[in-house]
Amino acid sequence: MEKDKKLSPKTSFEDALQDLEDVANKLEGGELGLDDSIKEFEKGIKLARYCQQKLEEAERKIEILQKGADGEVKPGRVAVKPDTGEIEDEDDLQGSLI
Amino acid sequence: MEYEVKPRFYTVAEINGLIKSEMENNPYLSNVWVKGEIYNLTYHSSGHIYFTLKDDSASISAVFFKYANKNLKFRLEDGMKVLVSGGITVFEKRGSYQLNVLQARPEGAGELQKRIEQLKKKLSEEGLFDQLRKKELPFLPARLGIVTSPTGAAVRDIIKVALRRYSNIEIIIAPAKVQGDDAAASIAAAIRELNKPRWNIDVIIAGRGGGSFEDLMPFNEEIVIRAFAESAVPIISAVGHQIDHPLSDDAADAAAPTPSAAAEIAIPLKSDFIDEIEYLKTRMTNSLSNNYLNYKTSLKNLTSKKIFRDPYEILNSRQMMLTDTEGRMVNLMKHRVSSEREKLLRLPDIYRLQKRLLVQKKHDMELLIQNLNNLSPLNIMSRGYSIVLDRNRSVIKSVEKINQGDTVEIRFSDGSAVAAVNSVKKEN
Repeated sequence: MEKDKKLSPKTSFEDALQDLEDVANKLEGGELGLDDSIKEFEKGIKLARYCQQKLEEAERKIEILQKGADGEVKPGRVAVKPDTGEIEDEDDLQGSLI
Repeated sequence: MEYEVKPRFYTVAEINGLIKSEMENNPYLSNVWVKGEIYNLTYHSSGHIYFTLKDDSASISAVFFKYANKNLKFRLEDGMKVLVSGGITVFEKRGSYQLNVLQARPEGAGELQKRIEQLKKKLSEEGLFDQLRKKELPFLPARLGIVTSPTGAAVRDIIKVALRRYSNIEIIIAPAKVQGDDAAASIAAAIRELNKPRWNIDVIIAGRGGGSFEDLMPFNEEIVIRAFAESAVPIISAVGHQIDHPLSDDAADAAAPTPSAAAEIAIPLKSDFIDEIEYLKTRMTNSLSNNYLNYKTSLKNLTSKKIFRDPYEILNSRQMMLTDTEGRMVNLMKHRVSSEREKLLRLPDIYRLQKRLLVQKKHDMELLIQNLNNLSPLNIMSRGYSIVLDRNRSVIKSVEKINQGDTVEIRFSDGSAVAAVNSVKKEN
């Protein structure tokens, strides 16, 4: 990400994390004036918040694709036991999309 | 005549020894390949493996010593059809023989292996396995696609590991048959389905748990390998295997030896990211406060400098310098004056000395004048001598310069007289 580019919802997590690291390095470099270091710090905090938000963006959801009688593939939500990974209602499952 | 062929009698040990020697030195028996089924298998604690190799009509004991089996890449099982190579050894004590196995491979592997090699060569020439084709796995995948049997252990393992690493991940399972005749077509179709944009998948794991060589064959089928290679979504081959990896591993963007391992590769550890962000935040906060403290210290150091605390200091030091210079100047002058005065004071001495010298000189002179006086002709004349001068007023020092009749002048100390010479008489 460019230095002056604003954070947008399209900024990737990877880029934002890299920028955050750059900010930390810059601040540690000790070459910034007090005003600039406060500006950088604010930028860094924004980036950190953005990264944390990105981490929570996905929604825990497990779906299984099934081919209907009409031949169309549709997702069906399934429940799993997180500690074993077991799909609870395995009985309804078809073995294949073809 | 009657010949009696005397039979040769051997001891049991001798005959066994002879057999051993015959069999073990026979080049045909010392290096053979034998095909059969394993039973009475024993993995001994010593590391040696004992089993019987049999087929429909016969059996033979076999021993697979530790030194030879340590490189065995699969586990032997009762009922397993194998191809083993080794030599025949004889156990003299019991008069039994066995197959000393040096290597073993699953039977049937040979033909399939050959087919796989051919396919590998063909697809490799097409560039399907090129490193350049491989896509990077996403840094932070939000949607994970899984291609495997929905009822097998593999899907459970992947879900379990994925949720453990990243609790709020989205998982889409595209069910596939992973064994049987239509397994390959099913796997390929599932991979293609997950590549459809509507599913918005970030990374795919396709595979199955471990099984026999034949069980893994679908992942060596051309249709499956092509589906892996053509997947626009980064794909990980996750086929449980111990010996040879399936060709899907070569075509995928990444490969893992088990489905669980694939999930570890595909899904980042969320806590790592959280830790990383916290760590960077701490570094920033520390740097900022260090930076602030540094400036504060610098400011404090500056303001505490003497010049700011006592501005007269700058004047004082100049004043001191001035006083010092002035003092030095005065001292110098004083010194100079006194030394000059000393010189002056020394002057009268010289004068006295000169005067004394003059007196002495005067006295000497007087003495000289006195002596000179004594020598003066006038002084001599005053004692009765006189001087005779000729007409030219030159002193006549000899009688020869004078003639009779000359007029001469006689000088006395107190006057002169003119006289005529009456006679001249020369004396010796």
